[in-house]
Amino acid sequence: MKKITDVIKERRVYFDGGTGTVLQSMGLPAGQPPELWNISEPEKIIGLHRSYLDAGCDIIKTNTFGINRNKFDNYDELIKAGIECARKAVGDREDKYIAFDMGPTGRLLEPLGDLPFEEAVSIFADNVKVAAQCGADLVLIETMNDSLETKAAVLAVKENSGLPVFVTNVYDAGGKLMTGASPAAMISLLEGLRVDALGMNCSLGPDIMLNIIGKFAKYSSVPVIVNPNAGLPEVRDGQTVYNIGAEDFSDYMIRLAESGACILGGCCGTTPEFIRRTVEKTIDLPYSYPEEKSCTLVSSYTHAVEIGNDPILIGERINPTGKPKLKEALRSGDLGYILNEAIRQSDAGVHILDVNVGLPEIDETEMMLKSVAAIQSVTDLPLQIDTTNSDTLSAAMRIYNGKPLVNSVNGTEESMNKVLPVVQRYGGGLIALTIDEKGIPDNAQDRVKIAEKIIERAAEYGIQKKDIIVDPLALTISSNPESAIVTLEAVRLLGEIGVKTSLGISNISFGLPQRELITSTFYANALGRGLNCAIMNPFSEAMMNTYYAYRALNMLDKGCTDYIGYASAKQSTGKQEVKDSRPESLHTCIVKGLKEGAVKHAGMLLKTVQPLDIINGHIVPALNEIGTAFENKKAYLPQLLMSAEAASAAFEEVKKGISSEKEDSRKAIVLATVKGDIHDIGKNIVKVLMESYGFNVYDLGRDVPPEKIRDCVLEKNCRLVGLSALMTTTVPAMAETIELLKKTDSSITVMVGGAVLTQEYADMIGADFYGADAMDSVRYAEKFYESV
Amino acid sequence: MSEEVIFFRTAAEDVHINERELAARLKTNVGFENEILDKCRKKLMESLDYKCAYIRCPVGLSQENVCDFGFMTIKSKSLYKNLLGCSEAFVIAVTTGIAVDRLLVRLNAVSQAEHYMTDALSSAAVESFCDYACDKISAGINCANRFSPGYGDVSIEFQKPLLTRLNAQRLLGITLNQAYLMTPVKSITAIMGIRQEQG
Repeated sequence: MKKITDVIKERRVYFDGGTGTVLQSMGLPAGQPPELWNISEPEKIIGLHRSYLDAGCDIIKTNTFGINRNKFDNYDELIKAGIECARKAVGDREDKYIAFDMGPTGRLLEPLGDLPFEEAVSIFADNVKVAAQCGADLVLIETMNDSLETKAAVLAVKENSGLPVFVTNVYDAGGKLMTGASPAAMISLLEGLRVDALGMNCSLGPDIMLNIIGKFAKYSSVPVIVNPNAGLPEVRDGQTVYNIGAEDFSDYMIRLAESGACILGGCCGTTPEFIRRTVEKTIDLPYSYPEEKSCTLVSSYTHAVEIGNDPILIGERINPTGKPKLKEALRSGDLGYILNEAIRQSDAGVHILDVNVGLPEIDETEMMLKSVAAIQSVTDLPLQIDTTNSDTLSAAMRIYNGKPLVNSVNGTEESMNKVLPVVQRYGGGLIALTIDEKGIPDNAQDRVKIAEKIIERAAEYGIQKKDIIVDPLALTISSNPESAIVTLEAVRLLGEIGVKTSLGISNISFGLPQRELITSTFYANALGRGLNCAIMNPFSEAMMNTYYAYRALNMLDKGCTDYIGYASAKQSTGKQEVKDSRPESLHTCIVKGLKEGAVKHAGMLLKTVQPLDIINGHIVPALNEIGTAFENKKAYLPQLLMSAEAASAAFEEVKKGISSEKEDSRKAIVLATVKGDIHDIGKNIVKVLMESYGFNVYDLGRDVPPEKIRDCVLEKNCRLVGLSALMTTTVPAMAETIELLKKTDSSITVMVGGAVLTQEYADMIGADFYGADAMDSVRYAEKFYESV
Repeated sequence: MSEEVIFFRTAAEDVHINERELAARLKTNVGFENEILDKCRKKLMESLDYKCAYIRCPVGLSQENVCDFGFMTIKSKSLYKNLLGCSEAFVIAVTTGIAVDRLLVRLNAVSQAEHYMTDALSSAAVESFCDYACDKISAGINCANRFSPGYGDVSIEFQKPLLTRLNAQRLLGITLNQAYLMTPVKSITAIMGIRQEQG
């Protein structure tokens, strides 16, 4: 028998249709898992498969969609029985294939859900091992709502079998997965993982899929699968029916086939009749295997970024080189700082974020994994994983939700041998530096030669030229006067041979005054030579000016819309500054919760007033005013929080004027939401208020085990702890934590708060103080440090 | 009658966020306004993707304090009392969609004030949508008040069979974690008894 991957090169093939609807008509009670029938009613399952084979399909899906070890203890027997039913149905028919059908786990992956990535891979892997043993011809991963779970499933197949992998996702009316991915995002992710066919199933019906098929045809270089529902169930004359019949369904399938769908079948609500008519109407339509697409895509969990004519900005700010604050954040494991840099760059308009967290004194892999996951939870930009450590690269690419850019490989044997296999395995765009064992060539032609060598070598790993973005390296003109000219020439030459390019722009001006002038002019020149990507500082106004102006001048910005938006935003920022000159003070800004005003006034005061006097004479009295208003029910919690944030921002500004020795003696508190509890909104409110009063807050987050809290108390030598819990079920964890802390050192003082707590509860579990609200907690903490 | 799950979506602007519900969540008086709240409301509106799935199914109440829905049986005094006089019920799940979760995670990293207000707004939004959906589903039908797992003596563990029956992962993107909490976090499941038509 021919392999299915060969068959799809030659002709259109057909999947079967729905399972649930047909089985219910055979007597399966609503709500009962159809997979149980693999063992209890195998004849009926075999009958179902036969009816589809008789209707003309080539591939039948095993009745195993909902099976996994979390849902069924006997998952392996159910899978074996399911494949056995399919095998019997096929019998001695030729050229019929059995797809082991694998649906979602039923749980959502971290960070929004609670299923760890590797556990998801392992759940799928257990299924795949059984299926491979039982002789399935391919694996169909279907009805996936989430890009990361899809990735886990594909890896499980690749790592535990040699079977072909087909993948279909569920797109909604807006053309997105439930968790946000567009077709282009899924195509780049899945092609990077080297699946054999991809597409869509279920969803709302073939009519909706017609709106999306164009995206697949445009971006996919592998065959596209379309397995729609028979529309949606609706109530008609008191009966619930799917709203698209077999005749209309098959008419839609003609149009889907003509629009580029290669593999056709059905999902919920479809029956053998739907498939029969689809086969009849489409079998004679012309068929062609998709051509190789030349576009370079990288993606996040929502969208793909195309690297082509329109220049791409890669934010460089998450890189510790020359950034003492980021270094400090990395050493202390403070993800908050990194997340803020990510969000600020995203707001500034970059398309991709570079992430480099390498410092000699920290565990780079651990920090990279944490950072990638955390950054992907606050921004939807694709990431550029920037590391020289191939283990770090491999671990980060594995858990990355999408197809990342990789920074970088170079022309040395060592680098290519380490990096290329990782990119081969997980898929990614790859930045290639034109440097080899002999160093960086001093002329453009030799840099191009190194690029060609890397491209050739990458091809041996199946990595395509389109996925390699060459960085011909900008060196500072202060020590290499010819550097700009050579680099620009290399950009031009690479463009001529169809290679995409990127540059770390800022290096060019290193060591010179007014660097922005040089950097942005160099950038403009490079864009003129066809540069595709720039790793740059998006907070540089000169760079952003160049970017927007270049696009407007080169017909990349239709109607100059983006340019006008950018320019008018700049104008209105100017206006606001004028408006801000109304009589207001640091005090009033804090009371009113005006963050920017508070920072501005704090900065102005710093010129004439001692930092500590600003804190004690301006910030604290303003906070006390709003705090008292809150306690007297004259202000509400949202206002208190806004004031606290304004005060914190002012405090940060003032801190710049305080020497670090004084800073160390600041008041401190360890905060945590106790083990088992994931509700941290109350704790976060206390944190903001504490910070606004100048406390150094060690925030351990939520669901924190007692030992971790004790360790932090000891390490930071901080004797004040605040614990929160929202659910009654987690109060015992709070008691346990207090007991451990008191046993460690009876002088540790613990305050508690949270929706379920009362004074009685607090007394019962041995807390030193119960805070009814956030202000209460601050007042107590202030008193604590006054008495110490 | 057949018990296929019915699904519909509703545009964010078609659901008026109940101001009382919002004030209760914000811990303010009704009609509390400020610029940041306004900004949060606008951002939330862009993220809302209201979806609802439901079935109409028979309810057996033949045994005292036992409610039999065919696909699940709940022993409960409070639900039994709620359903007395009903022989059928709507079983419903609604959600704001997961973009709201992402918005909340992002705001949690940026601003606690905006996070707090958006959390309150989105809680009020899903409650308001649930009311809207229940009104739409039960138009012209006399129904009991909606009742959710977790109320009274009904364990939240019943989320599992209920969501499975509604095909909620496929249709709404709702999943349960191991503590039976739903993602998207702003989701509601409910049972709404249908009182026998009189005359």
